[in-house]
Amino acid sequence: MIQFVPHIINGLTLGLLFALIALGFTLIVGVMEVINLAHGSLFALGAYFALAIIGGGWFGDTAFGAWWAALPVALRYITALIVAPILAGVAGMVLELALRRTYGKAPLYGLLLTFGAALVIEELIRLGWGTGEQSLSIPHAINGAILLGGLIFSKYKLFAAGFAVLAIIAVWLFLEKTPYGAIIKAGAHDGEMVRALGFDLASLRLLVFGLGAGLAGLAGVIMVPIWGLRPHVGVDVVIPAFLIIVLGGVGSFWGSVIAAIIVGLSVGITGAYAPAWSMMSMYILLILVVGFRARGLFGKKSALET
Amino acid sequence: MMATLSDITLRTNQWITPHIVIFAIVLLSLPLWIAPVGLYQYIGIEIAIWIIFALGFNLLFGYTGLHSFGHGAYLGVGAYAFGLFQHHVGVSLIGGLLAAVVAAAIAGGFVASFVSHRRGIYFALMTIAFGQVFWFAAIKLHWITGGEDGLLGIPRPNLNLGVTSVDLSHNTALYYLIAVLLIVITAFTWRAVNSPFGRILQAIRQNETRAAFIGYEVWWFKWAAFTLSAMFAGLAGGLFAMAQESAYPDVMSLHQSGLIVMMVLVGGGLVNFWGPVLGVIVYFIARDILGSFTEAWLLWYGLMFVALVMFKPEGLAGVLAGVNRNNGVALKNLPAKIAEGK
Repeated sequence: MIQFVPHIINGLTLGLLFALIALGFTLIVGVMEVINLAHGSLFALGAYFALAIIGGGWFGDTAFGAWWAALPVALRYITALIVAPILAGVAGMVLELALRRTYGKAPLYGLLLTFGAALVIEELIRLGWGTGEQSLSIPHAINGAILLGGLIFSKYKLFAAGFAVLAIIAVWLFLEKTPYGAIIKAGAHDGEMVRALGFDLASLRLLVFGLGAGLAGLAGVIMVPIWGLRPHVGVDVVIPAFLIIVLGGVGSFWGSVIAAIIVGLSVGITGAYAPAWSMMSMYILLILVVGFRARGLFGKKSALET
Repeated sequence: MMATLSDITLRTNQWITPHIVIFAIVLLSLPLWIAPVGLYQYIGIEIAIWIIFALGFNLLFGYTGLHSFGHGAYLGVGAYAFGLFQHHVGVSLIGGLLAAVVAAAIAGGFVASFVSHRRGIYFALMTIAFGQVFWFAAIKLHWITGGEDGLLGIPRPNLNLGVTSVDLSHNTALYYLIAVLLIVITAFTWRAVNSPFGRILQAIRQNETRAAFIGYEVWWFKWAAFTLSAMFAGLAGGLFAMAQESAYPDVMSLHQSGLIVMMVLVGGGLVNFWGPVLGVIVYFIARDILGSFTEAWLLWYGLMFVALVMFKPEGLAGVLAGVNRNNGVALKNLPAKIAEGK
């Protein structure tokens, strides 16, 4: 039994990271009923922005660049953690402006538009940063391993999992404890009525999409030291996020968090015994669950089904 | 008001229409003019194969309104089946292509039995999940599929016509085989979408609940449409394996499955029977022409796609129809006009 514990802890950590990856996606799909297939590309974009900020690649050989490169990694890392998601959020807002034309049409068009956007962002990344594999340097304090109860854990993974918990709580508070969540949710169902009540729905949607994209970028900055960075990473990310949303049930916030943890556990445990098949286990899980429960674990009826 | 596929005023039970005749003439004469216009024979093979794939895909995507994002999987299954047949059973053209179609039908039918009770976004998600399972299996089952490298050295078997045998190792010969298959398939698809079966598929797209209330077993028709389109994909896959002389997992990736959606939509598969044909041609020409100017040609193609979704979701066929609509003659009515001799 005891040899099982590390796998379970690894699985839980992975689950929390999956939840972080899916968070922006959940936010956008839950409140706006838009499937954002560009989520993974915004994730990658956030990570590449962080790469540019930490590496100082944008400042070149100027005096500022030299000064910046001399700063401690921790300081540059924290700056990246704040600035990169904001930049990704701005990119998301631009996407939302384009997406406006698809509101009120079949959900297919939003899906297609964001798929095209994903392609465009990926190509832009290739142009900007090249196609090679890159890595992100992280502060010494959260690097290396830690010994807990005779078991070795990666410090960074624990840091990332803790960060994921914070982000999940923050988003939940935003949705449940501020009026914005309710207004935007109502807007997805009856935009005319919400506008008639005097709310500026257009800027709220812009805000939510920016927030969702920013969360994608944040997840990118957090995940890249673990997963590595290549232009293609977007696709590797959007699929698990997608899968988690469906497994948890579209529109259910906690459903997606729980689904993420289940997926993390199943990938973690499969990974311990049959590493080659670990990612496959989540697809099998999805097919099993959705094969029997059409709307996932906690799904409610959604506008996306028509 | 957006045009739809079901607007076509003329319902024929003809197998051969003037459009199909023109299409056949263009296809069969292609080797004569492809080099002078600056292209090459192999692109003709690629285009013809992908049109087979796209026509079948549009039965599901455009006509039935079921948005599969995992159809590359069945193309891949067909390609592997063709290759495995040549390697393990015997070198045979008909056998290989039959194996490709049957394997894709089994895979598609299996998946369809899961997804045909789903609709909307859940349908799309399930097809993605299954597509990924096939893609993953193709990479991981390396003792069968050759892993990431794929199956290499797949032969191009001769076409046995009883009295004579045609060597297909030359691209032009292979092209003619594929072109003839494509013409047959185009006529078959045209007939299918204008048959009672095809009209039920369109009724399901317009209102699934209503179609069920009229008394149709909706899930069965969805299953049949899915399986049929998987068989088309399998045939395309078998031909693709022959053209490439290999089969590899890349064609099964989400990226490729998304590309076929893009092609069908760009061409106007949602509003016109010929949309997928147009979309495939535009894609491959764009790849070669834009690709010769810039490495990042997919960026421009992606931007064009985004613009189309935003401003003209009917695709290029919709744009062409819009030009004609002003004169009171929609392009989609042309077959009727021609048939009436006007």
